[in-house]
Amino acid sequence: MSPPIQVRELSKIYDAEHAELAVRAVDGISFCVERGESLAIIGPSGCGKSSLLNILGCLDRPSSGRYELEGRDMASLDDDELAALRNRHIGFVFQSFNLLPRMTAVENVELPLLYAASKNSRELARAALERVGLGARERHLPSELSGGQRQRVAIARAIVTRPSILLCDEPTGALDSRTGQEVLGLLSTLNREGTTLIMVTHDLAIARAMARAIRMKDGQIVADGDAHGVVAALRADEMELAC
Amino acid sequence: MLIRETARSAWRSLTSNRLRSLLTMLGMIIGSGAVVAVLGIGEGARSSVEGRIRALGSNLLMVRPGMQAGGGGVRSGSVQTLTRADATALETLEGVAAVAPEMSASAQLRHLERNQNASVVGVTPEYFDVRALPLSSGISLSDLDEQNRSRVVVVGANLASELYGSSSPLGSKLQINGNAFRVIGVLAAKGSGMGSPDDSVFVPLSTHASALFGRDHLSNVSLQLKREDQAGQVQAQAEQLLRLRHRLRSDQPSDFEVRSQAEMLETMGQITGTFTTLLGSIAAVSLVVGGIGIMNIMLVSVRERTREIGVRMAVGARRRDVLRQFLFEAVAVSLAGGAVGVGLGYGAAQLLARFGEWQTIVPPYAMALALGVSALIGIAFGVGPARRAARLDPVEALRFD
Repeated sequence: MSPPIQVRELSKIYDAEHAELAVRAVDGISFCVERGESLAIIGPSGCGKSSLLNILGCLDRPSSGRYELEGRDMASLDDDELAALRNRHIGFVFQSFNLLPRMTAVENVELPLLYAASKNSRELARAALERVGLGARERHLPSELSGGQRQRVAIARAIVTRPSILLCDEPTGALDSRTGQEVLGLLSTLNREGTTLIMVTHDLAIARAMARAIRMKDGQIVADGDAHGVVAALRADEMELAC
Repeated sequence: MLIRETARSAWRSLTSNRLRSLLTMLGMIIGSGAVVAVLGIGEGARSSVEGRIRALGSNLLMVRPGMQAGGGGVRSGSVQTLTRADATALETLEGVAAVAPEMSASAQLRHLERNQNASVVGVTPEYFDVRALPLSSGISLSDLDEQNRSRVVVVGANLASELYGSSSPLGSKLQINGNAFRVIGVLAAKGSGMGSPDDSVFVPLSTHASALFGRDHLSNVSLQLKREDQAGQVQAQAEQLLRLRHRLRSDQPSDFEVRSQAEMLETMGQITGTFTTLLGSIAAVSLVVGGIGIMNIMLVSVRERTREIGVRMAVGARRRDVLRQFLFEAVAVSLAGGAVGVGLGYGAAQLLARFGEWQTIVPPYAMALALGVSALIGIAFGVGPARRAARLDPVEALRFD
């Protein structure tokens, strides 16, 4: 079975019409992600992490290069097929949760199933909420939940269609360290159960909780390997700069 | 996405900002209410006119002096072309069952201290049969009255009650332009309106011509037909006969007109129809204005909910799902407004009928029309904002604050 994510010579260039103004947010990178892997993407602001994540999540199209998700070449798919791909294979977890404010917890979780027109959507949504430990809060509005609870609702929404890949953008960025650890624990558990986990983060402690890390700089990969090693190298570079 | 969820989402969005939804709907409410009320008034006017024409009696042709329609602005009644001899000649036509000539003039009526200006109509005894005017009390005019130029009068229902109150006018004196007449009969009420027999008094044609007004031209001749399907034939014959009698050359226009009830109905229908269409179009303009209000608020809504749209796209909403959601919302607002408007318009029509002089009939098609147009306006003005929502770039939308 092919790896769920294969990226080859991928670039994302903004404002490509004027060559001198063009920003190469992602600049010809290649890597693969194996099934069940946990991967942190680290690097300073503006290094292209978010642009890469948007492409990996099929929210944006690359300027050039090839991206295959679950064996399908993204370039050959239209907007509707990309929407279906996001729905089936990808779960998003955002820094700011992105729950819909007027919908209860269970309705938020149910949303992806409605777009998939699946049966028993309400039961599946409840099961996902149970899975993140919020079964008792299904009728609460997001505004009635704490930050950690909201992020767990968001995670339930991300896993409710049983996607193979979870894409997390600073999932603990808006949480205090204790609830951040809880959320991280939950994500790690999901990863151990077979979901591929890709996480963009500033937080090196969280990056080290992943098995593998990719370090980016100016749209390119400067290091790719064991998370502890990559993070240690990053720390060493920073020490060097500081001295 | 399921229709149920689309509807639920629209409901949530509309109820979460009730005042705004209500104000948005107001344009549609006023527009569709006005359309329904106007069409109700128009339909009521049409039916009351129609009723009045039908109340004339059945199988009638009317001969009036004056030019044919389109021949210029000569008012019928002011032209002295129709004589009693013409009426007698018309009796000879085959297919004519009865002929009822009449002369009409306005005069001062007085009974004791009560004065009233009313239409005094000189008629032959056949008139009441031909025009289907039964008496409620007393007796009708007779041939003898006609021969003797008797000063007797049959009074319309309204005038009877206005001049005599609750007491019976039979046998009492009524002064017409200073001449004393004896009331011999009272007509049954026929329904109000301009020129209604309820507001007229009837005297023998001979009396009218000699003693009262001294004029010998007729204001109208009613021809009762033996069979209704001969109307066209008799109409042509009557025209031919009168042209001959009036010595008109073939290139001269007729100085009278012969019209069937069907033609009168058609003319009146056209007039009320034109007014209804005119007023209805003005009312429909406010529906369009309402649509613009909806478009405005939908554009605001799309902007406010940009992030929501991004989230929906991220979890798998296709562009057409987003389009459908916002289009559904626009149609829901316009249809809800339209429905409330239909209710209010119907209520207004009922109130007008009860407290005003107007007869109103709200036809079912008017309500269907108002609702249908409301839905169409929702689609027409909602599709722009909905397309804008559907075309959002998911990355941009998710980043939007």
